[in-house]
Amino acid sequence: MDYLLHIFIVFLIYAIFAISLNLELGYTGLYNFGHVAFFGIGAYTSALLSLAGYPVTLGMVGGMLLAGVLGTLLAIPALRLSGDYFGIATLSFGEIVRLFFLNERWLTKGPMGLPGIPRPAWIGEGVAGLPRFLIFCLLLTVMVFLVTRRITRSPFGRALKVVREDEYVAQALGKNTLSFKVRAVAVGSILAGLAGSLWAHYISYISPADFTLTETILVLLCVVLGGRGTNRGPILGAFVIIFFQEVIRFLPIPPDFGRFVAPLQGMVYGAALIILMLKRPEGLLPEYKQ
Amino acid sequence: MEYYAQLLLNGIIAGSIYALFAVGLTMVYGVFRFINFAHGELIAWGAYIAFFFTRSPFSLPIYLAALPALAIAAVIGLAQDRFVYRKLRHGNRITLLIASIGLSYFLRNGIRLIWGSDLQTYGLAPVRGFFFAGLSITPTQIAMTAAAIFFLGILYFILTRTLLGKCLRAVADNMTLAQVMGISIEKVSVTVWLLAAVFSAVGGILLAVDTNLEPLMGLTNLVKAFAAVLLGGAGNVWGALLGGLFIGIAENIGVAFISPGYKDFISFALIVLMLLFRPRGIFGIIGGFR
Repeated sequence: MDYLLHIFIVFLIYAIFAISLNLELGYTGLYNFGHVAFFGIGAYTSALLSLAGYPVTLGMVGGMLLAGVLGTLLAIPALRLSGDYFGIATLSFGEIVRLFFLNERWLTKGPMGLPGIPRPAWIGEGVAGLPRFLIFCLLLTVMVFLVTRRITRSPFGRALKVVREDEYVAQALGKNTLSFKVRAVAVGSILAGLAGSLWAHYISYISPADFTLTETILVLLCVVLGGRGTNRGPILGAFVIIFFQEVIRFLPIPPDFGRFVAPLQGMVYGAALIILMLKRPEGLLPEYKQ
Repeated sequence: MEYYAQLLLNGIIAGSIYALFAVGLTMVYGVFRFINFAHGELIAWGAYIAFFFTRSPFSLPIYLAALPALAIAAVIGLAQDRFVYRKLRHGNRITLLIASIGLSYFLRNGIRLIWGSDLQTYGLAPVRGFFFAGLSITPTQIAMTAAAIFFLGILYFILTRTLLGKCLRAVADNMTLAQVMGISIEKVSVTVWLLAAVFSAVGGILLAVDTNLEPLMGLTNLVKAFAAVLLGGAGNVWGALLGGLFIGIAENIGVAFISPGYKDFISFALIVLMLLFRPRGIFGIIGGFR
């Protein structure tokens, strides 16, 4: 039962993470291949602030803000050119942020990571706090879902889709496309920061190894599998992927083969992305019904 | 002073390897107008297959093991195009990029599956370096530079002195027009993938001779190749060559001033600076291929 609660909490955190990427990738058509950086920034900021004795809520807000600011600062130079460059810049940004976590031992304790990150006081630590943490995550997920739905259905959201489909049309209609894209990245980064800080307070231990390209691929798969540019798609994608990941743990794997499980899983994720792109690029819930 | 001269020399040697990575990446960009995120895995696979042939039952010396490694890397390069990219070439760009990052993740985990995640070396005996005008250089490094110059010379010959090279430049300039003029796109695309795969594999093997093999070597060097491509102006082969040299030098001189943990940061900083100030590349004026 507790394990089921755990799976649901991880699913909800990934749902927020996937929604945040979908705003950039699905709605605005920006290939962010380093989205995990903002997840990590949110996690580390929130963890460090709460370990320094500030309230957890303040830490989470701090994590979201810093992720948003850094996302904006990265987006302004990287978005002045076509989408491919944004892919490069974000991919390498993700690596740089990981290097930063790894090397700045005075701040992040390097590869040792940060243990003992507290949860909000009213939730309580350990297994006893799981149901209340689940409710906390559920509330936040619903809030994020409603906020992004409101954003994407507003004129701003429609303008984002125009930018995605044809930047010149958007410009001809008098839209400042750079400003739209930067704002999409800013909101996406803030939400990724929220997901990251939830992750840190839930798992209570973070290290640079938690914020690698693997996580980016995982969340990318959530978005693409569920359906890019839809509100419900990323949530469905996160549900399928997280449950798949947890089911694997129960497979009877001989101990000698333990070494092969992680790479095989990675190969499955990579192959799933390729096959999805070849056979069903619109995902499980297509944006437009045929 | 000699210290800096030594760093410069090391930089030129490293840079000639980066140039090998970058020319392939930029050629693929020049012809197909997309950035192959799986390019780094060609580097890593080349190095690992050579590693495979240096072990029993083959136990070949490294210069012989390189030959089957180059052949297999070329097959992987062609297979990338045949089974994934060719089918997506005329579709949505975002599907192409997601497929390429999925492919890179698939191939990287393939390496981890077969050879494990630990550092490996070719197990070559260390050789005593020569001292020349106060600078130390090992025979391995001389061989590396010679190999890099040899392969880049071949590239120069193919691109400027053969009909195939002329076709390649024509397709890069304007694919539709080249097709109208009766140039076989298939022939050109096979050539581009062959060249890109062989050059990255050569670079990967040389790099592994000098340092070591690890599954992440593809990703790390992909970022460097990107930076070199941007420096040279995307699609410009000679620009990418100079860009690779520049990055090798900048990295090696850079470690005199910043912590070695941030060596990879230099290429990232260059990417952001280039995107901000000179998106067309600094060597773009020199011309050449494309």
